Amino acid sequence: MFEFTSFRHPPDNYSIKNAPDDVDMDEDDDDFLETGGLKLTCPGESLTSAQAYMRGHGTYVDKEEVIASVCGLVERVNKLITVRAVRTRYNPEVGDLVVGRITEEMESRWNSRQDAVLMLSSVNLPGGVQRRKLESDELQMRTFFEEGDLLVAEVQAFFGDGTMSLHTRSLSYGKLRNGQLVTVPPILVRRLKSHFISLPCEVDLILGLNGYIWVSKHVKENEREGEEGFDAEAVYSNRNDHIDDSTRTAISRVTNLITILAAHSIPLTDTVLLEAYEWSLEQEGDVKDLLQEDLGDALVATILAKGA
Amino acid sequence: MTSISKAERSYIQAGLLANPPRRANGRALHDFRSISLETGVAPLSNGSARLSIGQNPHEGSGGTEIMASVKLEVESIEEDGGRIACSVSCSPSAYPHLSSGALDDLQHDLTAVLHQTLSHPSLHPKNLGIIPQKKSWLLNLDFLVMADAGNIYDALFMAARAALWDTKVPRTRSVEYKSPKTFSSASGDMDVDQDTASGFDTRKVSHAVDFEVPDYWDEGEVLEGRERWPVAVTLNLVPTIHFLDATSQEEASCSSRLLLVYSYESPSSPTVQSMRMLGSGELTIPQLKDLVKEAQKYTKDMVTALTAKLVEEDLCRNQKARDKFVKRK
Repeated sequence: MFEFTSFRHPPDNYSIKNAPDDVDMDEDDDDFLETGGLKLTCPGESLTSAQAYMRGHGTYVDKEEVIASVCGLVERVNKLITVRAVRTRYNPEVGDLVVGRITEEMESRWNSRQDAVLMLSSVNLPGGVQRRKLESDELQMRTFFEEGDLLVAEVQAFFGDGTMSLHTRSLSYGKLRNGQLVTVPPILVRRLKSHFISLPCEVDLILGLNGYIWVSKHVKENEREGEEGFDAEAVYSNRNDHIDDSTRTAISRVTNLITILAAHSIPLTDTVLLEAYEWSLEQEGDVKDLLQEDLGDALVATILAKGA
Repeated sequence: MTSISKAERSYIQAGLLANPPRRANGRALHDFRSISLETGVAPLSNGSARLSIGQNPHEGSGGTEIMASVKLEVESIEEDGGRIACSVSCSPSAYPHLSSGALDDLQHDLTAVLHQTLSHPSLHPKNLGIIPQKKSWLLNLDFLVMADAGNIYDALFMAARAALWDTKVPRTRSVEYKSPKTFSSASGDMDVDQDTASGFDTRKVSHAVDFEVPDYWDEGEVLEGRERWPVAVTLNLVPTIHFLDATSQEEASCSSRLLLVYSYESPSSPTVQSMRMLGSGELTIPQLKDLVKEAQKYTKDMVTALTAKLVEEDLCRNQKARDKFVKRK
């Protein structure tokens, strides 16, 4: 029941190039600037003089020196120094599909993580068809979305201060239920033709470009709410449908697969996920066994072999 | 604590109550995530440990991660036997959604539980005294919560046990001043009071005023009774069932939790060191009795596994230290 392991340590031949050795310092600097060798840097580390080079992304200039502002790899193109961050935040663009959580309820709008705003005027209001918002809608905002609620939405526009505005004015967007959330680094979700994926194992996936992925029970095309007329009760419902055991197992399996792929930095697409799922069905053992390291490595090896 | 939508909550609850029960990553109700443990991680402390529950085996992200370290300090105090002081601090990056005030509250809550349990006289190690009624060791046990993915109490107690197990108390030797024998000069024209001990004095007052440390900084003896340090198990309650090692989402979706802390001086004689009901909810006495029994079973397994791991760490510790020494530049 209890399994104790040790921490993984970096391999013996692992070393960071720029050791703080006074004598070698200058040589090292020249080395990475001239030959394009890899150099890791940390925020606040001085990279080079600002007189000879220009600052790019991930750097700033202080006292005539180019200084890294993020942790990552240093890159140079001619006289431009940039730092490519190891981990990045999601960079929103208009039209992106995101999955978010409501963090704050404000007058006529909801706020969600990483400062996006969902205006009351950009959700589907009860009563169907496009209509103007009323004061009564404003008073019953909590019946639509509450704090903590998860929703899928599209980036609509940006405000002057750079915060993004979302909208859910389509029947495929809206509140999420019947499933669970898994988060991955946003960089692993690429822009795809469709971010709504149905796996043949009765599981639906919504890949949010912000790295939030919603794994849920499959809903048949013709059973989607609001096909005829708009049913606010169903769309803003907090109740889950009945989910049978095999679906639950499949959802857990897909969640675990996503975690493994994300840990190995493999970008998620529908084909990759499908292959991974099929592979995992061939393996003996339980869903939780997938999280063991050797199985994860085997999975990744198979996926990479197929992709190549 | 983590915000969670009603649909997620009911999904998790329904999964736990389903037959057979299903959890988010396919674990059984009473399965723990894998636990990584390493002792002797802070070179300047007297004992330290790093523990993480449920981190990804490949890249080590996404788990509850704790550092615990023991620092001994000499204290001039009338009482005998030394003191233990625990403190827990939480990194703001572990709780990005909490304000600094809420973070302080949380730290205070965690500190209270840890300190009250671990500094209880029944667990007190006997070798923290230096000079009776003058000087003793103050054992500072500090925790840093680097990430929280649920089940923080179990992790803290396990880390505490590991760090205290790893602790070495420097040996001390007391130093006493003795006035040199006074010359009884031959010409003795003055009658000086001889400073002799009275035969009637049976108080056995120690005259030690100071002490010296014969060891090097990393040597010493282990804390007395280190098998006694307790382990905790949190039973997360969803009416009719309980489950172990909840993730943050699961914690948010169950109303109450029962924390039980057991100490095993010998494998057959467990004692409850602490018991806390967290959250709102109710329990009947028969239910509580059952839970206490169940918890004893879990902690017994836990303490056996943890002790085995700690003994193994003890053995490879010297090897590790040597490796580090060779690798240093």
